[in-house]
Amino acid sequence: MDFKERILTAMEHQEPDRVPVMGLVMDPATSNQVLGKQPADIGGLLNDPSMRGQVKDIINLSWNDIMYSNFADALEASIKLGFDANWTVYTSMEVVEDPQCKTGLAWHDAFGRLWEMTTDDKGNMLLNYICGLLTTEDKWEAWVENKRPSFDMMIQNVAGYHRKLVDNYGDRIYPIGYAAPGIFENSWQPIGFVNFSRFVYQKPNFVERVIAFHTDLYLRYLDAVMQSGVEVVMGGDDLGQKTGPMMRPELIEKLLGESYRRVSETVHKKGRKLVWHSCGNIYSLLEKFVEWGFDGIITMEPTAGMELGRVREQVGHKLVLVGNLDVSYLLVRGSREEVEAAVKKAIRDAARGGGYILSASHSHSSVDPKRLEWMVDAAHRYGKYPISI
Amino acid sequence: MNSDEQLGTLKESLLGLDMESAVEAARSLADGGGQAAVQDAVSAVSEALGVVGKRFQDGEWFLTELVYAGEIAKEVMGLLTPLLEAGAAEAAGTVVVGTVAGDLHDLGKNIFVSYARGAGFKVVDLGVDVPVDRFVDAARESSALALGMSCLLTSTEGEIGKVIAELERQGLRESVKVIVGGAALTEQFARHVGADAFAPDAITGLDTVKKWSAS
Ligand code: B1M
Repeated sequence: MDFKERILTAMEHQEPDRVPVMGLVMDPATSNQVLGKQPADIGGLLNDPSMRGQVKDIINLSWNDIMYSNFADALEASIKLGFDANWTVYTSMEVVEDPQCKTGLAWHDAFGRLWEMTTDDKGNMLLNYICGLLTTEDKWEAWVENKRPSFDMMIQNVAGYHRKLVDNYGDRIYPIGYAAPGIFENSWQPIGFVNFSRFVYQKPNFVERVIAFHTDLYLRYLDAVMQSGVEVVMGGDDLGQKTGPMMRPELIEKLLGESYRRVSETVHKKGRKLVWHSCGNIYSLLEKFVEWGFDGIITMEPTAGMELGRVREQVGHKLVLVGNLDVSYLLVRGSREEVEAAVKKAIRDAARGGGYILSASHSHSSVDPKRLEWMVDAAHRYGKYPISI
Repeated sequence: MNSDEQLGTLKESLLGLDMESAVEAARSLADGGGQAAVQDAVSAVSEALGVVGKRFQDGEWFLTELVYAGEIAKEVMGLLTPLLEAGAAEAAGTVVVGTVAGDLHDLGKNIFVSYARGAGFKVVDLGVDVPVDRFVDAARESSALALGMSCLLTSTEGEIGKVIAELERQGLRESVKVIVGGAALTEQFARHVGADAFAPDAITGLDTVKKWSAS
């Protein structure tokens, strides 16, 4: 079987030749290390006042190319590491002057989040969401109105971006397009969680309007991702935190249930499968995921108490499971024996009958490529079907 | 309505997540009585927040409810605090709080801040991505009772030990209690780096700081 057949067989809850392995490579820190590349010193250039303006303009003009080369490297690194699949993500950004930010520049995404750039000790670039720009109803309305052309542009870019990655890498790895961030995150993060919580109780109609807006936009976004032709697509929203869901499950159903059903319908109408990402402890939402029509889930964060065996027990083969090797210790500084033991346990807990793809539980710039190699190697050794460990 | 009934309404409104009614009840209490009434109202808020915290710990309430109850308490305290006699406000002590350097997660830290303020602490909120020196400087300058650090990333947990070492180096460790919380941390880790307490959630954290304040 090749990588594609392996993934698609697992997605059908059938047993491929061996357990497929998926990478969640996206941080330049990881790709550069695997490919032996030096990071481009964008941080250094932006910190130089004489260069900043020019560099900012170049970034804005060539953002699509920057995104593309970031994920081209991620795919190249994933191929080198032996993964069957890796995710691909597009984020739309504009760099603007902002004296309040450390570098004097802020990164605004299309949805109204403010991000800042930092670099790690090796000079690899990291972008982090800092806060929302749309803290009031008026600001939100004005942003959405002004940004209509940018949303259209973003949708176009998303489609071209994923298609190009598939055209150039699809014969060597299975690139799974990830429509991110999701509806919930696009609704609360630009507003801020405290404001969002306030609005849930004080301005429920506004919250519903925000979610309806992001649902429509997300469906267009998903459609653009699916234009790559890949049979599996990822969606996601962090619906959990360490001890449980971010909101009361009934409230999640009320605010987002219909949106998620529409998401699944959109994907299924195109004959594709949907794998959903959510961090946190989400046991109490698993049945909802099935009901909303998701085909699989990815992450199952071990640091939030998620265990593959328990998830499989709870939902059986109603969901394909993708995960969940720990990125807090195991894949950062775990020993080879520990990585191997974790891979064996994951296979034992979730792989019988197919419907399982092994992966890290999350992307993280501290994840060590050596540990990823051990993970792949152990999967090849112990993941042959029929499972005998 | 007598003041007992008003106190009851204040608590119930907070627990029923009715901001308007909670503020209204607090206003009537403040208008109708003197210092004692204001103090009673502050205690009522604090008690109600205790119930909220318990509901969250028991899994009956979720984040949005916890956050919104904190927001109601903030509004009510904003009204009551200026009416307290000088010295009565923030008598519980000062707590310096922030998310460690390199980490930008702030939801948990903000909940702790809002509940600590609701319980009558003066809180110096340093925000996110706080370097070692800012924690230590703020603790010294504010003569803090406690220093709270939030940390959700394994890659940044080393920052906590650095802050504690710097407090020691500057001779402040004896006078400042250190409490840590956040998804990346465990009780064991907190002990290992020499923190005084680990807070699995904001409410437990607040209970610990309250105990320190009372002792
Ligand atoms: C002072 O005293 C106290 C007392 C109590 C204290 C306290 C302080 N601090 C916390 N508490 C305690 O009280 C609170 C409630 O009672 C609790 O606080 P928490 O903060 O735990 O809980 C909050 C109320 C709700 N919980 C949260 O807000 C965190 C939820 C999860 C899903 C999460 C979120 C939302 C986010 N994230 Co991030 N995120 C995850 C989280 C998963 C998880 N298991 O928690 C986690 C923490 N993230 C992770 C990662 C990897 C990342 N995240 C990142 C980014 C983000 C978002 C921006 C998208 C968003 C944060 C938004 C924000 N403004 O905070 C990136 C890092 C950015 C940075 N430099 O900080 C990025 C690196 C992702 C990437 N590749 O870019 C993981 C860390 C893994 C690890 N072990 O290191 C993670 C566990 C998810 C996972 N699946 O593994 C208690 O811990």
